[in-house]
Amino acid sequence: MTDTILEVRNLHKTFGAVRATNGLNLGVTRGQIHALIGPNGAGKTTAVNQITGDILPDSGLVSFKGENVTRLAAHRRAARGMARSFQITHIFENLTVAENMALSICTHQGHNFKFWQNSLKTKAVREKLPAALARVDLTDRADLPASHLSHGEKRQLEVGMALTGNPDFLILDEPMAGMGPGGTVALTQLIRTLKGKLTILLVEHDMDVVFSLADRITVLVYGQDIATGPPDDIREDPAVRQAYLGEEE
Amino acid sequence: MTHTQQQSIRKKACVALGAMILVLLPWVAALTGQEYYISFFSRVLIYAIAAVSLDLLLGYAGTVSLGHAAYVGVGAYVVGILFFHSAEMEPLFTWPFVFKGCENALVVIPLAVIISALFALVFGALSLRTRGMHFIMITLAFAQMLYYFFVSLEKYGGDDGLSLYNRSALPGLDLGNDTQFYYLCLTLLAAFLFFCTRLVASRFGLVLRGARDNERRLNALGANAYTYKLACFVIAGAGAGLAGSLLANQTEYVSPGLMHWTLSGELMVMVLIGGMGTLFGPVLGAAAFLFMEETLAMITEHWMIYMGPFLLLVVIFAKRGLFGLLTGEGKGHD
Ligand SMILES: Nc1ncnc2c1ncn2[C@@H]1O[C@H](COP(=O)(O)OP(=O)(O)O)[C@@H](O)[C@H]1O
Ligand SMILES: [Mg+2]
Repeated sequence: MTDTILEVRNLHKTFGAVRATNGLNLGVTRGQIHALIGPNGAGKTTAVNQITGDILPDSGLVSFKGENVTRLAAHRRAARGMARSFQITHIFENLTVAENMALSICTHQGHNFKFWQNSLKTKAVREKLPAALARVDLTDRADLPASHLSHGEKRQLEVGMALTGNPDFLILDEPMAGMGPGGTVALTQLIRTLKGKLTILLVEHDMDVVFSLADRITVLVYGQDIATGPPDDIREDPAVRQAYLGEEE
Repeated sequence: MTHTQQQSIRKKACVALGAMILVLLPWVAALTGQEYYISFFSRVLIYAIAAVSLDLLLGYAGTVSLGHAAYVGVGAYVVGILFFHSAEMEPLFTWPFVFKGCENALVVIPLAVIISALFALVFGALSLRTRGMHFIMITLAFAQMLYYFFVSLEKYGGDDGLSLYNRSALPGLDLGNDTQFYYLCLTLLAAFLFFCTRLVASRFGLVLRGARDNERRLNALGANAYTYKLACFVIAGAGAGLAGSLLANQTEYVSPGLMHWTLSGELMVMVLIGGMGTLFGPVLGAAAFLFMEETLAMITEHWMIYMGPFLLLVVIFAKRGLFGLLTGEGKGHD
C-alpha cells in the first residue's frame, strides 16, 4: 500500500466520559479527495486534531507517508507536508491579510531566522503572495488587519492560508461553514481545481458538496468509522442511510 | 491617501520631532543653564533602551515577563565587577589566563550585553516552557533569585552595592563628560531602535507576531513558536544588559536594587504608558514615567498614588498609549 499517504489505525480518545474517537480506522490514498462525514458531535474534528497533532490520542496509530507520527508535534507534521484549516477560524487577527498569507509562505521556506529584510519584500513572498490572495478572492483586502474582515472573508483567509504552503496533504475541517452561498460555490470550484494535484481530507456537512467532490467517503458515527467507499456505495449503504443520511431526509 | 498612509506619515513626523528634540537637548540645556537636564535625560535614554527591549517581549512576542530587570542588573554588575577588579588590582581570574578586570567601554559594554544575553538564554529556555500566569511567575522568580544572590555577595558590596570611582573609558570620548555620555546613550538608543524596527518587520518578526496572535495556527503552518520566542527573549535580554551597563556608568554605582521586581514593574509601566507594540512609544513612556517620578517625588513620597490613576487612564483610553495618541492610532478600538 505505497499509495496510502495517511493511515489511522484503531485510534481512541476520550474526554471524561465522552468517547470522541472510538476505534477509528482510516486510509487516505494519495491524490484523492477523501471525505469524512458524520452527524454533529460524531468526532470528526477530534479525529482531525489527532491526525495533525493538535491533540494526542489515548491509543492507536497515525502514520503519515509511511512514518509513525502518532506522538509527533504538530509543527513537525506540518513541516512534513501536512496542512489544515480549522473549523473554528484560527487566523492572525492583528496581522494584515497580506501578512497572514506571507507568514504561511515564509514558514514553508525553511527556517525564519532572518532578522533584517522586510518579510513582505522577500523573494518568495513577492512571487507567491499575489496568487495566494487572488485564489481566495482577498486581493483588495491585502492591507487590512485580519480582525477587520467579515466573517465570510475570515473563512476565505482560513482556507487560503492552509492552501498557500503547497502541502502534499490538506485537511479541510468544514471549510464552507459560515461562508455563504457564493463562497461555497467558489470554494467548491477551487477544491475541484486542486483535485489530483494533492491529497485532501475533507470534513464537510454539505452533502451536495461531498458527493460531487469526493473520490471516497468515510462515515463516522460515535467516533467510529461505520462505512468507507466510493460515493455511490455510501449512498446505498443501509447502515449509513439509517445512521446518518436518514436523519437528513 | 489612505488612512494607513496618513498614520504612517504622522508616525514618521512624531519620530523625527522626538529625535530632533533629543539631539538638540544638551545644547539648549547648556544655553539656558539647566545642565541638570542633560544627566536626567541620559537616564531617560537608558531606561528607554530597557523599555524598548521589554516591548519586544510584551508587544511582539506576547510574552509577559515580570523579571526583565534581572538582565539590566546583570549588565550593570558586569561593568561594576570588572571595574572593581581593575581598580583593586585584584585579578578576576588567573586561569586559563590572567584577567585583571577592565574599565574600557569597548570591552565592558559588549561583555555586559553578551552575558545578559546568556542569562536570558538559560532563564528563557526554562521559563518559556510554561505559559500565562506560570510564565509571569517564573520570570519573576528567576529575577528575585538573582537579586538575593547579589545581596549575599559580600565581596561586591552585598546589599550596599558597589561604587565606581569613574565611568568606563572610551577611546576618543570622555564619558565623564555628561554631554558626551548623553550622546553615547542617544546613539545607542537610536541604533537599538533601528535594529528593532527592522527586526519586527522581518521574517523573524513576522513569525514572532504570529506566535503572539495564534500559536496553534503557527504550529499548523509548521513553525515552532518556542524557538522564535526564545531568540526574542535573548535579544531583549541583550538590550536590557546594554541599558544596565550604561546605567552603571551613569550613576557610577551598581546594587541589587537594579534586579528588584519593582524595577521590572516600572519598565512594564513605561511600555504600557508609552504604547505597547510600538517600539517608539516606550521611549516616550520612559520619559513620562521618570518625569512624573521626578516632579511628584518632590511633592509627596507616595508619588505612586498619582501614577496609578494616570496609568489606568492611559491604558483604558489609549490603545497604543501616549504614542498612539500622537500618531492617531489610539482611537482604533475594534
Ligand atoms: N476538548 C474537549 N473536551 C471535552 N469534550 C470534547 C472536546 N472536544 C470534543 N469533545 C466532545 O467530543 C465529541 C466529538 O466532538 P467533535 O470532534 O467536535 O465532533 P464533530 O467535529 O464531528 O462535530 C463531542 O461530544 C464533543 O462534545
Ligand atoms: Mg467539527
